[in-house]
Amino acid sequence: MSGGDIKLVGFLCNWCSYAGADMAGTSRMAQPAEMRIVRLPCTGRVNPLLVLKAFQEGADGVLVSGCHPGDCHYNEGNYYAHRRLELLSRMMAVYGIEPERFRYTWISASEGARWAETVTGFTETIRPLGRLNLAGGGARDDDHHQGPAAGSASPAEKR
Amino acid sequence: MNGIVDTIKNVLKETDLVLGWTTDPVTGVATPARFHDEKEAEQAVFDSTCAHNLAVHLPRLKDSRVGIVAKGCDARSVIELIIEHEVQREQLAVIGVGCGSLLDVKKIWRRYGYGVAIKDRDDSLLIGGEQVNRDEFIQRKCHGCLEADPDIYDVIAGEVTGEIPTDTVRPHPLHDMFVSLTPAERRSFWREQFSRCIRCYACREVCPMCFCRDVCIMQTQIPRWAGGAVDAKQSEMIQLIRVNHLAGRCTGCGECERACPVGIPLMLLLDEQNHAIEEMFAYGAGASLKARPPLLVFDVNKDIWGKG
Amino acid sequence: MRIGVFVCQCGTNIAATVSTERVASAAMALRDVVHAESIQYTCSDPGQRTVIAAAHKYALDRVVIAACSPRMHETTFQRTMAQAGINPFMMEMVNIREHCSWIHSDMEVATEKAIDLVSMGVAKVRGQTPLFSSHVPVVSEVLIIGGGVAGIQAALDIADAGMPVTLVERGPTIGGNMARLDKTFPTLDCSSCILTPRMVEVKHHENIRLMVNSEVEQVRGYIGNFEVDIRKKATCVDEEKCTGCQICEQKCPSEAPDEFNAGVGETKAISIAFPQAVPLVASLRKEYCRLYIKGKCGICKKVCPADAVDYEQEDELHTEKFGAIVVATGYELFDWRQAYPHYGGGLYPDVITSIQYERMLSASGPTGGHIQRPSDGAEPKEIVFLSCVGSRDESIGRPLCCKVGCMYIAKQAILTREHIPDSRTYVFYMDVRAGGKGYDEFYRRAQKEAGAVYLRGRVGKIYPRGGKLVVMGADTLVGENVEVEADLVVLATGIDAAAGAGSLAQRLNIPYDQYGFLSESHPKLRPVETTTGGIFLAGACQGPKDIPETVAQASAAAAKVIVLLSHDELETSPMIAEVNHMRCIGCFKCREVCPYHAIEEQGLRDGRRVAVVIESLCQGCGLCTVACPPSVISLRGYTDNQLIEEVTAVLR
Ligand SMILES: Cc1cc2nc3c(=O)[nH]c(=O)nc-3n(C[C@H](O)[C@H](O)[C@H](O)COP(=O)(O)OP(=O)(O)OC[C@H]3O[C@@H](n4cnc5c(N)ncnc54)[C@H](O)[C@@H]3O)c2cc1C
Ligand code: SF4
Ligand code: SF4
Ligand code: SF4
Ligand code: SF4
Ligand code: SF4
Repeated sequence: MSGGDIKLVGFLCNWCSYAGADMAGTSRMAQPAEMRIVRLPCTGRVNPLLVLKAFQEGADGVLVSGCHPGDCHYNEGNYYAHRRLELLSRMMAVYGIEPERFRYTWISASEGARWAETVTGFTETIRPLGRLNLAGGGARDDDHHQGPAAGSASPAEKR
Repeated sequence: MNGIVDTIKNVLKETDLVLGWTTDPVTGVATPARFHDEKEAEQAVFDSTCAHNLAVHLPRLKDSRVGIVAKGCDARSVIELIIEHEVQREQLAVIGVGCGSLLDVKKIWRRYGYGVAIKDRDDSLLIGGEQVNRDEFIQRKCHGCLEADPDIYDVIAGEVTGEIPTDTVRPHPLHDMFVSLTPAERRSFWREQFSRCIRCYACREVCPMCFCRDVCIMQTQIPRWAGGAVDAKQSEMIQLIRVNHLAGRCTGCGECERACPVGIPLMLLLDEQNHAIEEMFAYGAGASLKARPPLLVFDVNKDIWGKG
Repeated sequence: MRIGVFVCQCGTNIAATVSTERVASAAMALRDVVHAESIQYTCSDPGQRTVIAAAHKYALDRVVIAACSPRMHETTFQRTMAQAGINPFMMEMVNIREHCSWIHSDMEVATEKAIDLVSMGVAKVRGQTPLFSSHVPVVSEVLIIGGGVAGIQAALDIADAGMPVTLVERGPTIGGNMARLDKTFPTLDCSSCILTPRMVEVKHHENIRLMVNSEVEQVRGYIGNFEVDIRKKATCVDEEKCTGCQICEQKCPSEAPDEFNAGVGETKAISIAFPQAVPLVASLRKEYCRLYIKGKCGICKKVCPADAVDYEQEDELHTEKFGAIVVATGYELFDWRQAYPHYGGGLYPDVITSIQYERMLSASGPTGGHIQRPSDGAEPKEIVFLSCVGSRDESIGRPLCCKVGCMYIAKQAILTREHIPDSRTYVFYMDVRAGGKGYDEFYRRAQKEAGAVYLRGRVGKIYPRGGKLVVMGADTLVGENVEVEADLVVLATGIDAAAGAGSLAQRLNIPYDQYGFLSESHPKLRPVETTTGGIFLAGACQGPKDIPETVAQASAAAAKVIVLLSHDELETSPMIAEVNHMRCIGCFKCREVCPYHAIEEQGLRDGRRVAVVIESLCQGCGLCTVACPPSVISLRGYTDNQLIEEVTAVLR
């Protein structure tokens, strides 16, 4: 990741918001390029710890988006998510994270334009805030990326 | 203490053991004890140095019929454990005690020397014979006391207090300073605090609501929520884990902060979260046996914050 | 681990903004990636062949395809994997078209982003394990609860498809509310003429077993494998022996309220509900029988020529297995009396409900098809209908619409004119809702041909005056108060779910609303399914409905059941939750949040109680994984570690 550039992570439910983002793409709606989307079955799968982990590991903004209340593919998923995410957003400032850096929204599969606007607005909010450096004092937990050694092809074995 | 010994003896007739306190012969202040028979029960005490929340032992004693001496705050933990089906009400005999606020023994010792004689009378506190301002030495958790008399009990030992002994709104000593910080300053604040953490997990071990034990993800790295390093980053993560897991479950008993050997102000985090939960769901953990933990339910009509 | 990365150009759709070559070479630098290439159209036949060939050549065990949205081609490439001999779930799609090339114009920026996205995909697929579907055997019998027109229709459809059906009805006869109706809107064909043949068909169908006077007590199990306890209540009459001659009913000295006729007229303690009842068998209601109240009688047993009366009969408890359940428990009328004291609260005999009126209109009803005032038996001339009594009335907390009131008032107004040509009818209404095919025409007929006077407004008060009833209301269109002197007032009372629907729903583990109506799984896309797999809804139990809608929904539910049971086994999706039993602490927070009741408690041999996921019920939402404090329940394909890796890969 280059110097001052920000990185944003989006956790999107497969059925509504991910499809909405697809629709924005199909309609060729230009958007800023900082967003990295992670596809999940439901906002109910979004563990608040995953959001905090993303901040710790270097995300400068996190957006969670799912189906509108009442439209959840699993009926109740986003209702539980709503409670968890609202509490999380109220705790952001306590953890030392500017509250603007975390957002959750409900965007349907047909709201491509709304998705594009949301990403644009969110990106523009975070840009002036710059990098977060939540746990800059700690060493990067690098063995995260190593994974289990057994069964892995060593670089020498490649090809 | 009139009543506590006899009450425990009585309760022992129907239980396997009673969790209570006895006086530590070396320091003269209370320390947790388990009473199995009448003879042991002779040693029981209840005084203003009985700070420990004994409910922490309950999930580990599932197979026994247990008696427990509980102050108002401890009773909230008992209730929360019952709500979460960790403890069977029928297996339990709660001996309620009214609490008139507790002394911070560590603070007294730091100021006046280890083992100094403490005499807490109704109207005055004598330390090493010298009369001092009692307010200055009460437990942190008692500032903000929600319930001095237990809400759940089978018998009462001694007398109930009938009122809350301390100023209930007094926030954490660091609260005013903390809220004046910008988010960036808070980041440095926490980084500095967590850099002292030694990952002893005492905060988890004393928490009645942390009963995952061997599989606690603060420690297991399965899944890899927190790495294994002892540094500010990973210590921050383990507290984020703890705070998140206690959402809607923390009764504010203050044990975690009391236990932390390096004095990290953990209650700043939990107080704020408990406050947010109170605001969002009008919910306080351990307040009622009928309550349903707020993150395990939802209400289509009332959950209307920040839609869209 | 040997991962292959295939970067699709999608013609120029991707390649115009993303340098697929650069993405491929960047991918080669990622851990465990042993092959990466750019392909012109990966989804095309030659494209897929290229992937398969590379899979063989480089002995790939995992694949990342960077192309369009997985919502577009995930299944396509899962099939490709199967052909290449790789477990289909060991493939991860990365969306570099909709989420990248199509929304960015700067080649440099888009390429950098595509590289990030690919590294996320690689990180995720590294944590993937092969997944396999399970198969559970399916019981081919179907249970239908409720024998109204909905239950009848569903039973016949399913039985005609060759599947055995058990139809459980709690009353003494099937037919439900439709059997009580005289004629039906909007065609005015006679209700029993169209319903009775269907009822008889149920009785004689070789694939249908009919159980009347029976109720479902307990339901265990899950889709394909339900185990149900059914209680058949004692009626003191042997169903096999009774010929339906009704001699017992004629001789019985104990009077009893006539539920079928909604209290218009009386019947006996031992009786047959109506002449076309199916089965045509008498039943005895002990609470009204002299033998049980006073201890002396026994007349019915003496007079029965078939020796069918048996006072010793006991309840029978049947436990049966079913593959699917259709709930068709219908509705009942809202009890208006408490809520509307200003309409007399039930004290004035000449204020009746619509279903009572329906029974009076019926030629086979207790009055022989003559409209009579209950108070004196006289023929009424001025008849007032009130719509929305207990419907659309916020003031009593009942905002729901009964859906059929407007139409049956029109019907009853037309029929009134036919029965009593010199009568006058008035209708106080809120709005006239006549949305169905031919419905508006029908309602206009009531005005034009039957001369019904429609007055828009709610009635404020009804009170008796000189043998008549004064109906005081407002005509909000003219802005005037109106007063009508009526001989008879008919209330179109609101509709509730059948009594006990809520507790039945609890036994079935399906959600229901405040009126007891059972909830469908999705209001638009899954209207006859419930959130519990294998349980379907038909008719007014789901919400107020008229007959055409009821029948359509019943056939839809039948079609769903037939599809489900047309397989001997159910294949379950492997992308579901899974509990690590060794680490589960048995707190069951997972079970509390699961919307599909897919988690149950199980004892391990070491005595611990842990959670297990019922594979055929889990829908893979992942709600449970977040509720679990020690993170020991995980969602396959989206495990915590996979997501952590995916996120951290890009933030490096
Ligand atoms: C006054 C009036 C006039 C109407 N006129 C017309 C009309 O002209 N045209 C029209 O299209 N519609 C009309 N309707 C609507 C029509 O009655 C319904 O659409 C139809 O009856 C719905 O059928 P159903 O099978 O869903 O429910 P129901 O007819 O209510 O049948 C439900 C059955 O389930 C049984 N049951 C209930 N609970 C249980 C249980 N727990 N266990 C076992 N069995 C149970 C009941 O005993 C009953 O037999 C009218 C309604 C009213 C009130
Ligand atoms: S988190 Fe701390 S204050 Fe809260 S219940 Fe646990 S020990 Fe008590
Ligand atoms: S921190 Fe979480 S996982 Fe650890 S013991 Fe407490 S509740 Fe369990
Ligand atoms: S008690 Fe204090 S030092 Fe120990 S793990 Fe908890 S925060 Fe760290
Ligand atoms: S993934 Fe969803 S449906 Fe499956 S067990 Fe968990 S909560 Fe239930
Ligand atoms: S929430 Fe987790 S620990 Fe608790 S029962 Fe479910 S799987 Fe087990």
